[in-house]
Amino acid sequence: MNTRRPVAAALAVAGYVVMLVPILFVVVTAFTAGSTLRFPPEGLSTRWFEEALGYEPFLTALVSSLQLAALATALALLIGVPVAVAIHRGRIPGKGLVEGLFLSPLIVPELVVGLALYQQLMIGFGLDSLTALTLGHTALMIPYAVRVTGASLALADPHVEEAARGLGASPLRTFATVTLPLLRPGIFSAALLSFVTSFNNVPLSLLLQTREFRTLPVTMLDYVQQSYDPMVAAMATLILAGTVVLAVLAERTVGFAKIFGGINR
Amino acid sequence: MTSAAEFVGVSQKFGDFTAVDDLSLTIAEGRLTTLLGPSGCGKTTSLRMLAGYSRPTAGTIRIAGRDCTRVPPERRDLGMVFQSYALFPHMTVADNVGYGLKLRRVAKEERRRRVMETLELVGLAHLAGNRPKKLSGGQQQRVALARAIAIRPKLLLLDEPLSNLDARLRVQMRAEIRRIQAETGLTVVLVTHDQDEALEMSDDMVLMRAGRVMQQGPPREVFPAPANRFVAEFLGYENFLADAEGRTLTVRPENLRVAAGAADADAPAGPGGLLLRGTVAHIAYRGADLLVTVDATDDTGAAVRLLCDVRGGAAEGLSPGGEVTVDAREGALVRLPD
Repeated sequence: MNTRRPVAAALAVAGYVVMLVPILFVVVTAFTAGSTLRFPPEGLSTRWFEEALGYEPFLTALVSSLQLAALATALALLIGVPVAVAIHRGRIPGKGLVEGLFLSPLIVPELVVGLALYQQLMIGFGLDSLTALTLGHTALMIPYAVRVTGASLALADPHVEEAARGLGASPLRTFATVTLPLLRPGIFSAALLSFVTSFNNVPLSLLLQTREFRTLPVTMLDYVQQSYDPMVAAMATLILAGTVVLAVLAERTVGFAKIFGGINR
Repeated sequence: MTSAAEFVGVSQKFGDFTAVDDLSLTIAEGRLTTLLGPSGCGKTTSLRMLAGYSRPTAGTIRIAGRDCTRVPPERRDLGMVFQSYALFPHMTVADNVGYGLKLRRVAKEERRRRVMETLELVGLAHLAGNRPKKLSGGQQQRVALARAIAIRPKLLLLDEPLSNLDARLRVQMRAEIRRIQAETGLTVVLVTHDQDEALEMSDDMVLMRAGRVMQQGPPREVFPAPANRFVAEFLGYENFLADAEGRTLTVRPENLRVAAGAADADAPAGPGGLLLRGTVAHIAYRGADLLVTVDATDDTGAAVRLLCDVRGGAAEGLSPGGEVTVDAREGALVRLPD
């Protein structure tokens, strides 16, 4: 930490404390031997982890959430990557408008989107919950795909593709051997961001859930409303652990600087 | 002299803006031709049309005798070096240089051999396994050059290849590019805005302005005889004046001589055919020389401001406001065609 700037350093410490301490409380509480969600924990045990992993609604919801996040991420990338390439490399009129259109889901309140999708898709077209949620989450994730993959293209030398063409590569070959490798860290980071955002989403999932299909955050929310035992803390800790593993994996394979900078230099 | 490439009546319009205006030009085989001019003169646009990155709105481009106007860049077989180098950041130096060979299905062993051979030509064989970002600007430039040369192109196109290098390296690379051209026998087209670079490197230079050719020819023919005021100004002929018949003369600052004191009114012109009286307006110290600004009157009676490059002891007795006599070195006065 930079000790020559005491105010900035103090703010940074305060920031970390505010963000990390509550999480620490949840993790510690999860290891309680008692039967209420309180701090400090009464005794130490892993019984609530066993409970959480044996609790059928959580497991079903976890599978649903993973399924939904994977589907929405794949779809968002499938749409978002070509859009990003078109915006940054194509000769299309009204680029600003196109980009604005694909980024707009970021500013529309999710509850509004959820309600609209509920009325139109589930009631209007009679779609099931997974389909409606996949469409909704995809719409929400597209801005990430467009922005993050676009960033890696915007930072790359625009002449590299021309250089490849000049050396004898067809447009398709150029895309496969130059553009796509330049995009790779961007795609990886967009996938990571989309997946995590979809997995954690509550507002859309809350409105588009059904008895048959419910995501994990919504199920946990339901659970907290009915019961105050530490099982929810244990589940939260497990999700946290999963996220950390994902993050470490990302750091080891690509590196955060590349992922979140979206730069391949 | 056979032609490696030809522009025949080529124009390029972007909306209302005419970047290249009815350009006709022949690039001679085995020579280094520079397209020289200020920014916006159409030199880079011309090069991009030759490379196939931009299609002319009118005219024909021929490469090695074949009409290539509508041929995409990947089928022109040209080597291009971009100002930004445009190296592939995700490949090693060797893979960058081998990229074009791989596309031409050159077998692996042969490819390796040619990559190393080309890297040796630019003096970078020891960096073959590095990524471009680990290299200095000058080294990246050599990689870009090697990548373009490796495919044994019909033409080597260089777009302001030296402008991102520091001054010392730039001067070294001029000679380096000439050496590489001599060793490979390639036809080279080089775009630059730097007249010194063009004069030093070119076999033929083409001066352009507003999408048109202003003058072309070998440096030793163009430099002493600028065809018009634009060319003269661009090549550093700072002084323009009229002779007794009103014809435009131009002379370089280093070819004017300044002596303290006014000459007699009827004194004969010196060996350079010029004798003007004036007063010193300003003296700028530049280390190796002085730039003396003299306000004088030319033979038509018009006021002219002359820039004179004065070296060493010749500056003695000069001071602002002082009366001086200016004459020109023999053969230094150039008459511009009307």
